[in-house]
Amino acid sequence: MKYLIALSMVLHLTTGAAQAAEKKLTISVYAFAQDAFKKVLYDPFEKICGCDLVIETGNSVERMAKIEANAAKPVVDMAVMSSHDALALARKGLLQSLDVSKIPSHADLYKSAQNPIGDNMAVGYGFYATSIVYRSDLVQIDSWADLLSDKVKGRVALPNITGTQGPLALHMLSKALGHEGMDFTKTIDAIGDKKDDIVTFYGRSSQLAQLMLQEEVIAAPVGRFAWSRFSGAALPFKWAEPKEGQTGGMNVMLMTKGNGNEELAYQFMDYWLSNEVQTRIAVMKLDSPANSTVVVSPEIAESLTYGAELINSLSMLDSGAIIDNRDAWVERWNEKVLN
Amino acid sequence: MFQNRNEGLALALPAAVFTALLFLLPVGILLSEPFQVDGQWSIQGYIDFAFKPLNQVVFLRTLKLGFLVAFTSAIIGYACAFCIINLDGKHRGRVFGMVMLPLMISPVARTYAWIVILGRTGIVNDTIIGLGLSDTPIRLLFTETAVFLGLLQLFLPLMIISLVSSMENLPKDAVSAARVLGANWFQVFMRIILPLTKDGLVLGGTLVFTGSLTAYITPAVLGGSKVLMLETLLYQRVNVANDFVSAGIIATILILMSFGANILLKRVAGTRS
Repeated sequence: MKYLIALSMVLHLTTGAAQAAEKKLTISVYAFAQDAFKKVLYDPFEKICGCDLVIETGNSVERMAKIEANAAKPVVDMAVMSSHDALALARKGLLQSLDVSKIPSHADLYKSAQNPIGDNMAVGYGFYATSIVYRSDLVQIDSWADLLSDKVKGRVALPNITGTQGPLALHMLSKALGHEGMDFTKTIDAIGDKKDDIVTFYGRSSQLAQLMLQEEVIAAPVGRFAWSRFSGAALPFKWAEPKEGQTGGMNVMLMTKGNGNEELAYQFMDYWLSNEVQTRIAVMKLDSPANSTVVVSPEIAESLTYGAELINSLSMLDSGAIIDNRDAWVERWNEKVLN
Repeated sequence: MFQNRNEGLALALPAAVFTALLFLLPVGILLSEPFQVDGQWSIQGYIDFAFKPLNQVVFLRTLKLGFLVAFTSAIIGYACAFCIINLDGKHRGRVFGMVMLPLMISPVARTYAWIVILGRTGIVNDTIIGLGLSDTPIRLLFTETAVFLGLLQLFLPLMIISLVSSMENLPKDAVSAARVLGANWFQVFMRIILPLTKDGLVLGGTLVFTGSLTAYITPAVLGGSKVLMLETLLYQRVNVANDFVSAGIIATILILMSFGANILLKRVAGTRS
């Protein structure tokens, strides 16, 4: 009898383990700081759900291509993207509208993060401000137009048009130069006229940090998420507050259409958006919180895009405008700036 | 060696299948993609690519830098190789080892070193200002000069190694005999050394030119998006725009340029002899 009980217990445990192993959620995320995310988000969630998270990383183009290629039978359940990449996927009919009643933390999000691309196709989980970092001992930056002025001639870098920061910088430069419309033609032409005065068009904030620490560059637009690279440096860097304001963007989470794993995906999204996880992520300076109930110390807030006042003041670029105009911007940029 | 031809073919079969399936087939698919427009065979993709001004600039820049790097490395390479083969055995080994040493260091590390050297506060600008040649630092990074220097340093050892190995076959007294008979050094080089080392020059030239065309890290780090070359453009088209058609066209152009350089160099060397 003892043997029978023992055998049944072993069978029960084995079956239970097999069921847990079958419960699996595949997520597609940015490759950035995955060790830290594992600690503050993935491992705790796996314990709560009794499931396995399969993490897929890569650049946005690769990740979007994978979702599109497997549209009929999704291999990714949930993904995080920039808001305009999410909108591009939504327009192709690859996403499903979210039932926000299944995401209790949704109500705590800042208003702009609750339905950023319309039709509840995504929810924002992190903001970033973009402004100009400059060497306060060498130059004073008061306007985005200063980036094309003689005072930073030969010592300024701009983000490349193909990156996330490029269109944001164009948006604010257009505002500062008084150019209207979303085609940015005049602004790109103005950059083209000054291209010899621009050190480079950087692709990654780490590259820019290296150039600024090497004193090659003294002013450049950059996302707030990279500010900690500058704030702790020996050189006097300052975060500009231009008269035209700061711009910024939002990263969102989304769910692929017909993935069949919706319940677990909702559970994960809610956990990520919860006060507890958003606070942990903010304290580790991984992302700026979209949950308005998160409270962090002033020291931590210094490195983040934090607080309703700042977030509501950001002059954001419409996701639809980015998708509709990006090809034309790149074409003009290649013709006038890189040629 | 084999009892019959079939035995040899059977032994070569696994390697042939492996190459066909995992190299020729994927490369064939990649290269054929640009020829297909809406399911029809067409060269429209190539025409569109060729008429874009940025692509023209990038193509000519790649060709120019590839040629300049190969030409300069040939000049420096001949001088170095000639010095090396005239050293005694012990010193020759040491100097040859020093030439080989950079090849054992990652191209990434070698390229990043140039960022420090060519920067505003780097040794080159310090020297220029110290010598009074300029009052302010000159911008060297993210210029064609930076890419040229990076590529030259990267591939020069390949040219030197090729020329040293071909110069070792040079008859020992050939240069002395020519000098005794009244030839100046230019004539010695053009009539003796160059014809007798043409194989090394063709090999080295092909390696350096092809390497310069296909290098990614050096143009990406030292040139950035301001000095796009075909390889960095290819990366941009795939990773930013998911545009495999343009990537396929660029890959085809790079392959043709490499073959073209090899054929041209062989022709030139053949003419000289």
